[in-house]
Amino acid sequence: MLWEVGGGLAGVALAQLEAQAAPRKPGPHFAPKAKNVILIFLPGGISHIDTFDYKPELVKNHGKQTKGENTITPFFGKPGAVMKSPWEFKQYGQSGKWVSDLLPHLAQRADDMTFFHSMVSRSNAHGPAIFQMSTGFIFQGFPSVGSWVSYGLGSENQNLPSFVVLPDPRGLPPCGVANWGNGFLPAQHQGVMFGDQKNPIADLRAPVAANVQAASYDLLSQLNEEHLGAHAGDDALAGRIRAYEMAARMQVSAPEVTDISGENEATRELYGLNDPTTRAYGYNCLLARRLVERGVRCVQLFNGGHFGAPRINWDGHEDLRANHSRCAAVMDKPTAALLKDLKQRGMLNDTVVVWTTEFGRLPISEGIGEGGRDHNPEGFTAFMAGAGLKPGYSYGRTDELGYKAAENPVTLYDFHATLLHLLGLDHTSLTWYHNGLQRRLTDVHGHVIKDVLA
Amino acid sequence: MPILNRLLLFGLGIVAMRGAEFDRDVRPLLMAKCMRCHGGDRTAAGFDMTTAQSFAKSGVVVKGDPAASKLFQFVSSGKMPMGGPRLSEEEVGLLGDWIRGGAAWGADLAAAKKKTWWAFVPPSKPKVPKIDGVLNPIDAFLLAKLQTKGLAFSPRANDRDLTRRLHFGLTGLPPSDADYTRSYAENVEKLLASPAYGERWARYWLDVVRFGETDGGEHNFERFHAWRYRDYVIDAFNSDKPYTQFVREQITGDLLAPKDPQMVAATGFLVAGPWDSVSAELNKDALMKKTARMDELDDMVTTTFHSFQALTVNCARCHDHKFDPIPTRDYYSLTAVFGGVGFGTREVATDAAKAAYESAAKPLQAEIARVQKELDAIELPVRTRLMRERYQALDEKRRDEKYRVPLSPFFNRNTFAPVTAKHFRLVISGQSGKLPKIDELELRPAGLRVASFIGAANATAAAPVIVSIPSSAPATVSEMVWSTDRVTGKGDGTIRVYSLEASDDGANWRAIAGSLDHVSANELELPSVSDKDLIAALPAAGRQRRVDLLAERDEWKKKLEAVPPLAMVYAAKPHPVEPAYLLERGSVAKAKEEVFPGALSALAHRSASFGFDASAPDDKRRNALADWIADSKNPLTARVIVNRVWYYHFGNGIVNTPSDFGQMGDRPSHPELLDWLAVSFMENGWSLKWLQRQIVSSQAYQQSSALNEKAFGLDADNRLLWRMPLHRMDAETLRDSILAATGSLNSERGGPGFLLQKKGGGGSYIYDVLDNDGPPVWRRAVYRFVVRGGGRIFMDSFDCPDPSVATPQRSNSNTPVQALTLLNNTFVLKQSERMAERLTNEAGAGAAAQVARAYSLLFGRAPSEKELRAGVSFIASHSLAAYARVLFNTNEFLYTP
Repeated sequence: MLWEVGGGLAGVALAQLEAQAAPRKPGPHFAPKAKNVILIFLPGGISHIDTFDYKPELVKNHGKQTKGENTITPFFGKPGAVMKSPWEFKQYGQSGKWVSDLLPHLAQRADDMTFFHSMVSRSNAHGPAIFQMSTGFIFQGFPSVGSWVSYGLGSENQNLPSFVVLPDPRGLPPCGVANWGNGFLPAQHQGVMFGDQKNPIADLRAPVAANVQAASYDLLSQLNEEHLGAHAGDDALAGRIRAYEMAARMQVSAPEVTDISGENEATRELYGLNDPTTRAYGYNCLLARRLVERGVRCVQLFNGGHFGAPRINWDGHEDLRANHSRCAAVMDKPTAALLKDLKQRGMLNDTVVVWTTEFGRLPISEGIGEGGRDHNPEGFTAFMAGAGLKPGYSYGRTDELGYKAAENPVTLYDFHATLLHLLGLDHTSLTWYHNGLQRRLTDVHGHVIKDVLA
Repeated sequence: MPILNRLLLFGLGIVAMRGAEFDRDVRPLLMAKCMRCHGGDRTAAGFDMTTAQSFAKSGVVVKGDPAASKLFQFVSSGKMPMGGPRLSEEEVGLLGDWIRGGAAWGADLAAAKKKTWWAFVPPSKPKVPKIDGVLNPIDAFLLAKLQTKGLAFSPRANDRDLTRRLHFGLTGLPPSDADYTRSYAENVEKLLASPAYGERWARYWLDVVRFGETDGGEHNFERFHAWRYRDYVIDAFNSDKPYTQFVREQITGDLLAPKDPQMVAATGFLVAGPWDSVSAELNKDALMKKTARMDELDDMVTTTFHSFQALTVNCARCHDHKFDPIPTRDYYSLTAVFGGVGFGTREVATDAAKAAYESAAKPLQAEIARVQKELDAIELPVRTRLMRERYQALDEKRRDEKYRVPLSPFFNRNTFAPVTAKHFRLVISGQSGKLPKIDELELRPAGLRVASFIGAANATAAAPVIVSIPSSAPATVSEMVWSTDRVTGKGDGTIRVYSLEASDDGANWRAIAGSLDHVSANELELPSVSDKDLIAALPAAGRQRRVDLLAERDEWKKKLEAVPPLAMVYAAKPHPVEPAYLLERGSVAKAKEEVFPGALSALAHRSASFGFDASAPDDKRRNALADWIADSKNPLTARVIVNRVWYYHFGNGIVNTPSDFGQMGDRPSHPELLDWLAVSFMENGWSLKWLQRQIVSSQAYQQSSALNEKAFGLDADNRLLWRMPLHRMDAETLRDSILAATGSLNSERGGPGFLLQKKGGGGSYIYDVLDNDGPPVWRRAVYRFVVRGGGRIFMDSFDCPDPSVATPQRSNSNTPVQALTLLNNTFVLKQSERMAERLTNEAGAGAAAQVARAYSLLFGRAPSEKELRAGVSFIASHSLAAYARVLFNTNEFLYTP
């Protein structure tokens, strides 16, 4: 991969015992459908039954208690009665997809999406569930999806990171930067967080005048070349000299990508940049497109921040209507804009967009007479859109109340395996030796879901 | 057997010459290439090669006929291994040989390995090869192997390089001017005696044991007293604590000396890893809770065996270990060992110390409480009034919205379409906090009132508190308002679930408004009362009295703070011992037979069973395991630690997987050397300083790092050690070295860590980079407060690991972000300024002298003519600080020769 410029991990030679005889060269295992991926993560847990998973039975059973096998133990231990959605559902597009009034803009894109309605997570607590979505494991410290993609495919653009992260402007997601950590993979696969427009990458901007910076690069290169002469042939030293050359180029290309002054008014309007509610997240959506255009392999967007009051994510425990209304007002329009924009530029042909959350929400209210919903890892919805997928297609389903996955349950292992497959990567072969195991994004599980592939 | 010979044999059809090749040749091949998918918990295509029986059942081999055997067909056509590289010609040949010879299966994989696996055979002291003029056995073993390739050590490095190597290697700090003038041997002793030695080597150990000072996960709460474990480790290295004692104390220190904070802190080892407080404490789902406990035990078992035994026992949580002879039963016996250990902070003190503390502190605490009570009497009524006004104002602001402001003790309003009825009542079925109550309630516009106190402390949906709202005649109401007179503190509660109901006959009730009309308190920014507002609203007399009381309270508090506190320690905390079961596929829902504390049956030095039943107390369990590990007959304990030390010095381990001596790990490059070191280490009292001396006094350690083309061609990975590798500074060493060079390094030792990150977020913590500067953060990086989850830009980009997982080997990457960090990070910029100051102070205003001084401080040498000219001209056109910044970025600074 272009980002690793020599040095490498001391001791990878040990992998001689396994399939992987040497550090793998970046590149797909087979012909990929998608070159790039945009991950959109909605922390807190967006409700599936109030968005894309239409359940008329909720209306019929509103106010009734669940019984017997269907007795539900919520995370906070306060079972309530079945609660209908505060939003109406309508059908959209050629596919006739039922979508709630909460997401009027995304509803218009239903024909571009491929829904997974039977997602299952291993934990009903945010932390482990978020880690599982972000890294495949419920424990902290494993490489993130974007890191695996970066390790698997490398970068197409030497002057930008291969994995860029755009946190919600209201705050970092729960569990913070661990969501895009490289775990035990080398540091070049770490997600690089883009902050404000002027200084998108930490330490990107030279703190000295341009002529000083240029002279500094010159002197450094002169001193390093001299030093290299005395250590001829040492690849690590030569690699480091190249790293500084790349750093200098990155100082030019990163501000270019974040400068959106060249985007036209229609685009600004499309992404909601003229509206204070959607402006910040809309900018991130637009930036995601610009990054992918320039060959960044993986962009991860967050819609929703960490926990605390006032709440800035989708964790609608007490008051689903107030919570989801406020969150959706930020998320809906720019996300739909991104899909539309990618499509009209032909970029959905080689990009896959993934929209996920850590778990869904329960069909019952949280406590009798309350208006919130607790966590539901037993069945929830995610969608992908773009290259290699059947558009306007729904896979799997939950039971009639939307409590448990009832048909074709999709584990996160399956979900990740399918995503890697779209990128031309075999999830069982994309491995890294760590503490006695050839580690994978999908642990020892996962099957590619062939039904959703175009 | 050389490849060529084997191919010849195969080609000539002379096969089965060595009928019993399975154990040596075929087994390792199957394990490495096939068993990931065809063994243990995964049996792709129904094919399982774990045992002779399951292998035979699969029918993939026709004895004596490779061509007819699927196994041979698949591997020779490249169909298998699926997704991996093809087997080499030699490997295919081997399998062919074996099938042709009858495909005899050895003993079952696991059972066989127990006795033959190199790491399970106790080390015996091998004979040192005799080589003329070679005194250090390390050199003899290495040279013997080098010579077989026609190689030798590189020449001795020059004095300057050696001085640097030794300093960075033993202490992680650069040499001073004086250090360059001392002899090598003197420096060795000086460095091993310096506290910086322990600071350097403790950092490695902290990587191995995944030491962090926050819980990780969603809440990521701080562990304010975890630093004591870090200090314990530093002290252990500095005092050269015998390694067995070091092992023992980390497993059982709290049992050995329960009142000694240092010893209790040693067991910080067991609980140094991440901890999911949410699943352990908040989750109401019983299975999830049990799973969380098993995860805690798994973390302790895993770390103990990774760290001390280099075994991946955790693989046996869901199925028998696929590669090593570790059955699931052994794994669960190990979880039983730690059944009495929980995560947490506790006070550690002798009874006398405790009594002394209490007699000093109690009277002071009583004074504080007395003053606080008077303060409350002045502040709280006013604070409550202001809060009520503010809630009311917020409510007015949102008056037209359907959803009212959040419920609070201060002010609540429900508005609804007018209802006329004879009877009204309030049904309260949920609350939070300590004293949920209503002091006044009114239904408007009819003016129906409840003026008496309504307590709702026990209201639930099943047993609601029902309050009748008296009315003498049918009344029309469209609004309900209620609040509390006075809030006394944090304990006050809020009525959270209620409905207002109406009835005409007093029997049939209908709800007309309720708590659902409010938004959640978590969804809005809520009113608050600042001290400034409070003071402005106080009556003049109260205002003055408050100032006096605050001053008095602060005085008492200061006195209380002056009483030396009792030691708090984050370490192993007693946990009720629960019965342990073998869990099928690791699932808590599938508990099978009960298991009892024990260790690994694969090792023969002691019985795996400890002979305890379920009633055995915590101390017996853990002591038995400590005995089992810290036993000089344990074949792994000494080998594992000497190999770790070796790895950090030479960049290659003798075994290059320092935490995995099992089948999936590396094989020793120099098995005799490893055994010689392990046995000699034990003979020398398990002294790590002995080992350090032995290594750094070797010729191997002192050879040059220059590249030798012939050797590189034969052994590019330098496994034979024909040169000393260059070391790129790790993140801590880099930071420490810059501080040392600029003269800023604060050598204060021990105690709570300094902060590089600030805490943010609300209910859960998020840690952002803290841009702070000054002596408190100019301490060595080993003393930083270690937040789990990354986010320390400067350290992270240089591969400083997130301690959420164990890191026996750090990556050593080389990226543009690293370059940007070292060029532009504020830490580097500020230190460049300080470097400029130091150079000016020590070398005066002349650029040539400044350059010369910079070279002596950073590189330990004088600049060449050319370097001097370049430096002088750069300083003349730009600045001395900019020059220092460039030097910090050079390879010569970053790489230890």
